[in-house]
Amino acid sequence: MRPNTKNLISGGIFILVAAIGLWLNTDHTLGSARRMGPGYMPMLSFGLLGALGAIVFLGGFFNGPDKLEKWTSLEVAAVPIGIVAFFVGYFLADASGLFTGWYPLGWGCLAGCLGLSIAPGWRPIGLVHAGLAVFGLMLEQMGLMLSITAMCIVASFGDTTHRVKGVIGMIIFLCVLCYLVFIYELDIRVPVWPVFLTQ
Amino acid sequence: MELLLTNLGHGMSVALSFENLLFCFIGCLIGTAIGVLPGIGPVATISLLLPITFGQPATTAIIMLAGIYYGAQYGGSTTAILLNLPGEVSSVVTTLEGYKMARRGRAGAALTIAAVGSFFAGSVATIFVAASGPLLTSVALSFGPADYFSLMLLGLIISAVLAQGSVVKAIAMVVLGVSLGLVGTDVQTGQQRFTFGIPELSDGIGFVTIAMGMFGIAEIILNLERPESRSVLTTKVESLWLTREEAMRAIPSVLRGTALGSVLGILPGGGAALSAFGSYMMERRLSKYKHEFGTGAIEGVAGPESANNAASQTSFIPLLTLGIPGNAVMALMVGALIIQGIQPGPRMVEAQPDLFWGLIASMWVGNLMLLIINLPMIGMWVKLLQVPYKFMYPAILTFCAIGVYSINNNVFDVYQMLAFGIFGYLCSKLKMEPAPLLIGFVLGPMMEEHLRRAMLLSRGDVMVFFERPISATLLGIGFIALLTMLLPNIRKKKDSALAE
Repeated sequence: MRPNTKNLISGGIFILVAAIGLWLNTDHTLGSARRMGPGYMPMLSFGLLGALGAIVFLGGFFNGPDKLEKWTSLEVAAVPIGIVAFFVGYFLADASGLFTGWYPLGWGCLAGCLGLSIAPGWRPIGLVHAGLAVFGLMLEQMGLMLSITAMCIVASFGDTTHRVKGVIGMIIFLCVLCYLVFIYELDIRVPVWPVFLTQ
Repeated sequence: MELLLTNLGHGMSVALSFENLLFCFIGCLIGTAIGVLPGIGPVATISLLLPITFGQPATTAIIMLAGIYYGAQYGGSTTAILLNLPGEVSSVVTTLEGYKMARRGRAGAALTIAAVGSFFAGSVATIFVAASGPLLTSVALSFGPADYFSLMLLGLIISAVLAQGSVVKAIAMVVLGVSLGLVGTDVQTGQQRFTFGIPELSDGIGFVTIAMGMFGIAEIILNLERPESRSVLTTKVESLWLTREEAMRAIPSVLRGTALGSVLGILPGGGAALSAFGSYMMERRLSKYKHEFGTGAIEGVAGPESANNAASQTSFIPLLTLGIPGNAVMALMVGALIIQGIQPGPRMVEAQPDLFWGLIASMWVGNLMLLIINLPMIGMWVKLLQVPYKFMYPAILTFCAIGVYSINNNVFDVYQMLAFGIFGYLCSKLKMEPAPLLIGFVLGPMMEEHLRRAMLLSRGDVMVFFERPISATLLGIGFIALLTMLLPNIRKKKDSALAE
C-alpha cells in the first residue's frame, strides 16, 4: 500500500462538497426527467462529483506515494488558529454592533489571515490575503488611495526581501497608475479620498 | 472563396479602425510583456483586465484580449532563448534548443526564426480560422439541444483528458465547476439555489471572481514561495540575420510546426503548450539533423515556436463557431462575450459579423505588429526582466482588487475572490487543475439549459442522446477518448508530454 495523500485529501474535498450540495438540494423540487425542476441538475452534478470523489479517494490508497510537503509544527497549529480567528473576528465584529453589511465578514477574513500568518511558512498566503481583506474593509470609507496604500503595506510583508524605500516608491507608482486608469480613464464609482474629509 | 475575401475585407475594415488598431496594439504590447515575464501568464492577465474592457465595444474588447493571448506566445520565446527561462509554459521546449543556440552565439538567429516562424504560422492559422469558421458554423446550426449537450460534454471530456495529471481528478474539477455554476437563480423557475439567502449570489458566483482568485491571486502566492532566480543576460545579440543554411533548414520545420499547431489548437484542452511539445518531438524524429538536437538545432526552435502560435490562433475556432471554450483563456473570452451581452455560439457569425471577421482580421494585423514589437525592441523586453517579482505582485493584487470591486461596486466580491484565492492555492498544492473547473463553470449553465430542453422534447427519454446521429457520434468520440486514458501506455506518454 502506497497512499497518495494528495489524492486522499482532494477526494475527501470532492465528497464533502458533494454531500453538502446534495443536502442543500433537498430544498429544491426535483421534478421528472421530462420536466426538470430546479433540483434535478444539482442532483446529477453533485451525485457525479461524489462518485468521482470516491474514486479519487479510494484510488488514493494505492497510487501513491505522493506526500504533502513537510509542515513545521507551527504551520500545523496555524491552520486551526486561523480558522478560529476567522469566526472570532466575525462574531466579535457582528456582536459589537458597530458594523453592518459585509464589514463583519471582512474583519473575520482579516483575523483569519493574520492568524494563519503566525507561521512564517504561511506568510505569503496569509498576508497577501490579509491585504485584500484590509482593502475590502477600507475602500468605501477611507477611499481608494489609502486602501491601496494599506493593502500594499500588508501584502509586502509577505515577501521578506522588501525594503521600506522600495515599498514607498512602489505605492506612489501604483496610486498614480490606478488614479489614471480607474478614476481618470474608466471613472469607476468609488471614493478616491476618505469620506469624512470630502463631506 | 470570393465570399471569404469579401468577408475578410470587411473584417480588415473593422480591424483597421483607429480604436481597434490601438487596442490591438495595446493587447499585443501587454501580451509580449507578460510573455517575457515569468510568474504572470495570459489567464491571470486577461482576467484582471476583463473589468476594464466592460465599457468598450465588444469587438474592441475581444480584439485586445485576443492580442494578449497570442502576444504572450511571442514574448515567451524571448526569455527562453536568451536566459533559458521560459516566460510561458508553451515556450518551455524552446529553451532546449534556443538557449543552446544562444550559447553558440546564434541568439539573434534563434530570435529571428522564432518571430518570423510565429508570424508565418499566425498568418496561415488566421486563414485557417477564416475558412473553417463559416463551414463549422453551418454544421452547428443544424444542432438540436441534445446535440449541443453532447457537444459540450465532449468538450469537457477532452479538456479533462488533455489536462495535466490525473484524468479522474480533472473530470471531478470540471464537475465541481459545473456545480459552482448552479449557484444563483434557476432560469426556468426563478428559484434561488445554493445562495444561502445572500442577495449578491442570486446572479451566481462572479465568473471574473473565480478566474482572478484561482489564477491571479493563487499564482502570486505560488510565485512568492518559489525562490527567485533570474540569471543576468550574458549572451550578446549580435546579428539578427539568419545564414542561408539556417534559413533552408528552418523552412520545413516552420511548415510542419504550423500544420501540427493548427490542428492541435482546435482540440479542447490542447492549445499552445501541447502543440509546441508535439512539434519538438516531431522535429527530433523527422529532421535531417537529428544528431544536432541538444546542441542548438534551429529546427527545435522553428518548429515549436510556429506550432504554439498557430495553435493559439486556431484555439479560437471552437469558441467562435460552436461557443465552446477549449482552454482557460477561451473560457475567459466566453465570459467577456456574455458580459457584453453576446451569446457565443454558431449564430455569432451571422449576428456579429463585425466581431467575427474583425477579430480574425485583427489577428493577422496583430501578428504583423508583434513582429515589429519583438525583433527590433528585444533589448527593451530583456530590461523588463530586471523588475523583480516583489514589485510586480502588489501591482497584480491591486488591479485584481479594484477590478473585482468595480464589476458590481460591492466589497462582497473582494471577499469572494479572497476565498477563491485560498482555494486555488489549495488546489495547486493538491494537484487539482484549476483550468477544467473554469471551463466547467462557464459551460455548466448552458449545459443545464440544453439538457432540460432536450429532455422536454424527448418526453423524458434519455435515449435521445444515443439515437440522434450527431449526438451519438459526439458521445462516442468522448467515450473513446476516456477509454484511451485507461491504456497505461498512452497515459504515460501523455504525462511525459504535458510535464513541465
